Amino acid sequence: MNVLVCVKAVPSTGSVQVDGAFRLQRDGAKLEWNVSDLSALEAALSLKGPEGRVTVLTMGPKKLEEPLRELFARGVDEALLLTDPAFAGADTFATANALETAVKNHGPFDLILCGRRAIDGETGQVPSMLAAALALPCITGAERITPEGSGLLVRRPVEEGVQMLFVPMPAVISLCEYTYSLRLPGIMGLRRAKGKAVTLLSPAELGIDKENLGLSGSLTRVIQMDSKFPGLRKGPKTDSLSQGIPAILSVIKEAKG
Amino acid sequence: MISQNALHHAEKCRFCFMCRHLCPIQLQTGKEINTPRAKGLILSMENKGTAKFDRDMAQTMYECLICDACVNDCATGYQPPLFIREARTEAVANDLAPESVMKLLENVEATGNIYGAEKPSFAREGKDVLVYVGEVAACKVPKMAESLLKLLEQAGVSAKVLENEPGSGAMLADLMGYVDEVAQEAKTLANAINATGLKTVVVLDSYDAEIMKQRYAAWGAEIHAQVVTATQYVSDLLKAGKIAPKASLAKKGACHDDDRLARTFYEFEPIREMAKAAGFELVEMFNKERLAKSCGSAVTLAYMPNIVLKVASGRWSDLLRTEAQAILTANPQSYLCLTQNVPEGKEVVDLYSALI
Repeated sequence: MNVLVCVKAVPSTGSVQVDGAFRLQRDGAKLEWNVSDLSALEAALSLKGPEGRVTVLTMGPKKLEEPLRELFARGVDEALLLTDPAFAGADTFATANALETAVKNHGPFDLILCGRRAIDGETGQVPSMLAAALALPCITGAERITPEGSGLLVRRPVEEGVQMLFVPMPAVISLCEYTYSLRLPGIMGLRRAKGKAVTLLSPAELGIDKENLGLSGSLTRVIQMDSKFPGLRKGPKTDSLSQGIPAILSVIKEAKG
Repeated sequence: MISQNALHHAEKCRFCFMCRHLCPIQLQTGKEINTPRAKGLILSMENKGTAKFDRDMAQTMYECLICDACVNDCATGYQPPLFIREARTEAVANDLAPESVMKLLENVEATGNIYGAEKPSFAREGKDVLVYVGEVAACKVPKMAESLLKLLEQAGVSAKVLENEPGSGAMLADLMGYVDEVAQEAKTLANAINATGLKTVVVLDSYDAEIMKQRYAAWGAEIHAQVVTATQYVSDLLKAGKIAPKASLAKKGACHDDDRLARTFYEFEPIREMAKAAGFELVEMFNKERLAKSCGSAVTLAYMPNIVLKVASGRWSDLLRTEAQAILTANPQSYLCLTQNVPEGKEVVDLYSALI
């Protein structure tokens, strides 16, 4: 099976700061692979089979070359890095467009896996946008993928239980975090990785007009961010249940007017 | 290819020098390069391009017992074994590891254990618990394994031991870090344990217990049974009255807290309960419990015997400063290291044998 995995480098939660306007201060923050993308990668490595290949695709600064090379040691066969200032500031639409072009240029792939959402943006839109752009079926929020005949059987948690869905290939599937534990790099993998290079791709190499990339290719703009609960935790506090319940009811009644 | 996390641990040292006073290897060799902070510094230099990761640097990374004494006392909470293990991975992947280390890895490949010998079998059927003997006890300290099994039999516990017991990965992890080859070994053992259906695994060697309890789950090698150290299990049998205490020996002994019991499990009382039940009058060495000085490990004894003999001598020096006649241990690796150079008039006592 020829599998593509879309991964994103996100700021490490332990190192990133948020400024007064609630924006992530990415400069200087340590980067790490988005946690649900690692589940997608392990799923790909488990599914590819002896004759298969796993390609990772990401968009970001050139400094991601080294972390991508580390993925070779874990069994990845090829790594594609879309890197150019023109890609910067992309919303989910512009990101999906860039990924779609890379997929078309380097495919075909039997399966495209993504994490269900990135922990920095938390939109979860790219997998389905990518699937729509490629006109492929899409299952989001999967926790297990099993080959079944000519397609895949996908287990997907929902509020009431789990769904078992069949999807023909090629397809796009996004994985929940912590569903597959990414394997450790092996010694043989580390040795193999030394002879491999990350493929750097610019807009020109992909044949995309810069107008359709990054901020200029985005359909959305973040105008302002604010706290969702500005008055949170300012109400009366009590340890007594008999006093607490009437107090909450009174707050609710007041809010309802 | 050291990870960002490991580099963070290597580069944020405050140079408070505490680890310099604790590292059992530095204390014996007197070499500044043997301090954990120096190892961090040279890896940081390598990352900044001012030093090259060569054979000398790799050798330095192996001159460490991974005893965790530095972790226990680090003022900033950093963990030198994290970057030391990753540096060992680099060393093996780049063929820079010392020859003595590569020889042990060849042995593991050929026979499944670092000694390159067929592992003696303790296989038996039992229905109450599974006992994991481990390669050090099986190959080098078989009497300790036999004594534990006999003790369990006397206590009415029906113990099973696996035929062709797989390795735990603990040895490989010390030789080349946490790599996929170690995780594969872990999965093989976890599958073998789970196939028995037994609910308790009694692990003789605390180094094996550590990797099983702390690493296996993250590698997808979950053990469904409860993993307990043999010391804790035997101590519980003593408390339950299933093992009869021995008459007083009128002999003074000091318990050696091995690296993993001391600093991974914070397990101090069970071996003292065992020592008292074996008839010893307990005295304590100055460096005890979490601060216990390492006496070496089986894997380091195998690839750098000269240094580990000095380290074991360091632990004997601690004993010689007490009135104890014997050093007491329930760990096969500690027993193996301490028996290499026993001072005249002193002895190493295996607590399982002492309880029979």
